[in-house]
Amino acid sequence: MSVDFVGRRGALFWLALKTGFFTIITLGFYRFWMKTRLRRWYWSAIRPGGHPMEYVGEPLEKLLGFFIAVVILTFYIGIVNLLLMFLSFAVFSTASVGYLASFAGVVPLWFYARYRARRYVLSRTRWRGVRFGLEKAAWGYTWRAVAHWCVTLISLGALWPRMTFYLEKYVTDRTYFGSARLHQDGHWSMLYRAAIPLIIALLLLAGSMVWMLWYDPVFGPEGLSLSGIAHDILTDGTVVYPLARPERLLLVPIALAGILYGAIHYRFVSKRLMAGHKSAEGITLASRLSGPRVAFIYTFGSFIAYSVLVVGVGALAIAGLAVFGPSALVFLDLGIEEASLDIPQSVAVALLVMFYLAIFLLWNVLYNTFVTFPLMRHLARTTSLPKRYGLRYVSQRARDEFAEAEGFAEALDVGAAI
Amino acid sequence: MSRGFDGFGSAYFDGDRPVGEEVSLHLANHNLQIGLDDGNTLFWPVKDIRLLPDLAGKKGYVLRLTTDPLARLYLTDRSLMTFLPTPRGKIPARGRRRLLAWAVAAVAAVALQIAVLVPLLADRLAAFIPPSGERALGAATLDQIRRVLDDTGLDPLSYCENPAGVAALTRMTNALNQGKDRLENLSVHVLDHPMANGFALPGGYVVLFRGLIDQAESPDQIAAVLAHEMGHVWTRDPTRHALRSAGSIGVLGLVFGDFAGGAAVLFLTERLISARYSQQAETDADTFGYTRLGAANVSPAVMGDMFDLLRDTAGDTNQLLAHFLSHPTLSQRIDAARAAVDASRSYTPILDDTSWAALQKICD
Repeated sequence: MSVDFVGRRGALFWLALKTGFFTIITLGFYRFWMKTRLRRWYWSAIRPGGHPMEYVGEPLEKLLGFFIAVVILTFYIGIVNLLLMFLSFAVFSTASVGYLASFAGVVPLWFYARYRARRYVLSRTRWRGVRFGLEKAAWGYTWRAVAHWCVTLISLGALWPRMTFYLEKYVTDRTYFGSARLHQDGHWSMLYRAAIPLIIALLLLAGSMVWMLWYDPVFGPEGLSLSGIAHDILTDGTVVYPLARPERLLLVPIALAGILYGAIHYRFVSKRLMAGHKSAEGITLASRLSGPRVAFIYTFGSFIAYSVLVVGVGALAIAGLAVFGPSALVFLDLGIEEASLDIPQSVAVALLVMFYLAIFLLWNVLYNTFVTFPLMRHLARTTSLPKRYGLRYVSQRARDEFAEAEGFAEALDVGAAI
Repeated sequence: MSRGFDGFGSAYFDGDRPVGEEVSLHLANHNLQIGLDDGNTLFWPVKDIRLLPDLAGKKGYVLRLTTDPLARLYLTDRSLMTFLPTPRGKIPARGRRRLLAWAVAAVAAVALQIAVLVPLLADRLAAFIPPSGERALGAATLDQIRRVLDDTGLDPLSYCENPAGVAALTRMTNALNQGKDRLENLSVHVLDHPMANGFALPGGYVVLFRGLIDQAESPDQIAAVLAHEMGHVWTRDPTRHALRSAGSIGVLGLVFGDFAGGAAVLFLTERLISARYSQQAETDADTFGYTRLGAANVSPAVMGDMFDLLRDTAGDTNQLLAHFLSHPTLSQRIDAARAAVDASRSYTPILDDTSWAALQKICD
């Protein structure tokens, strides 16, 4: 059974733009509706066996979850942070210890939020009328994630695939489709295959660094110093670099681009490799997604989105100039108390805030249109269910009442799913 | 009258098993009749049929019944849509009351924290910060203020450090800071900013803006502000304030969303500068100021003059300051300053004309 993806980019663009506009004029509160409606659209576009997925999450429950998270997190951020800052200044006479402790305290919460967000999304996802689900096991995930990160950091990243595999296995083994429980098979060492481009890029960077800085220095024996350059500029206006074959410096951006590609490749190809080892009773999954294709979508899509954003912001600025005259320029300058505006200060501030929000909206809309859309389409169309006879033995599972929704993820900006 | 529809490619999902059943579709007596393979027929009242919202694509759509949260009908024949009276009608929502309760709780929790818990805790804790920690807190806060107030966004706002001016400022500071209650660790800075204001920070930092020196008519008026801020240093009001804002920045950032984190810092910096201490704290700082001015042989009345001047000149440039200055108790403070004058004494200016001229050029 293959997975189809229907729906056109233009329709998504208008939906994102419309809901984004409402988000701005409601000062951000419509974002729960925006998120819900975009998810409904994406989910219904993905059609395994021709039948659409369905997203049944509600905006109001997201708003409720956000309020719950605010109540709990204000306590953490207000009171706990205050105590941490006090101890930091009283004992260590510096702010950095307090910031560090505060950050260290948020890290577990971040993993916790990520698991809860996934549980919420799965519990609100249906296909052919049957619910998906994830067990309540967020704290187990949290301490495992922290432990895996420690191991990964101690091994200087060499055991990263082990972390990827075991965390994904933890979640997959607790995922249900109706009564059918998913199972993650395979071994963590298989993920090294996905890391090959990244490893090559890292070796290239390390190798070229050794070559250019140590073995055959590109900056000459005396090295490069800022005072030397400043001296050259001040004395005769030209800079004389003592460079030996400077074209070799091109290796650095090449290696950095390779690392970026390698990171995207690892993230998605490891998903593909693990998807091939996911199964339930009588159901198997397979993916044919292409690492280069995903990397292309990310880079090219971000580039288009960014270009359109720049053009859009320019157009907005010109429109602002046309409407308000040159005084609109002082919006960009926050020193409002000095500027003499011919419009009231409150109006100016409101317009400034709107402009600020409009840029975020535009970026969000463009990112959805040029990155998320093609990415979802590629992921959907490369996924299939080779074995599916087990579907007829699946039955419905009970509804997962979930008051807090993805409130923590929303408040902490975890960026789960879409 | 009965009407049939094309059921080819359509499927009914009973909400229990993920297996589609083929259907035959008829519309009769305001019911959609869904004929299933096993011979059963389902009757869906058309007024209760809803279309799933925000469906992608034109190929196929999904219907549900308001009374059944699970069963779904996947259809390919769009002509059926025209016979549904309210395909986009409301489906009764649940849990509004709980939502309201949490919304109220959230607002109350944030308000309680900012208005009560954080200040209470900060005031208690401030007493336990050792001098070195207080100094570090002041330095960190000053750095933050200098960064925020800079318009170019490149370097922090610079100090005014013209040597002759600094010498004059030091002379003024020393004249005010003597006797048995001498403040240790007092460091006075001038920042190159047009705002007519001065403030105190934890650890003995007192900051004056260039705008204050530009607008003052005599060195004594500067001395009045300096003496007042020294009063805050003496009572450690700024330490309590800085600790409060260390806790509150995060709270505001959370409520306004991730992108407004910068705005929250800006807001709190503004609050730190124009720190609104309690009325009692201001009166205490004034009283401390009169004593110090008197000890330096300067008339306490200059403090009243300075308030007067700020009220007149700052009124139309800075709304926040204007609001602050038009506060009714300010008149009382001006009167109090004038009442603190000892008529039997002859006061002298705190700086001679040369030093005053040097102080006025401290930012050059």
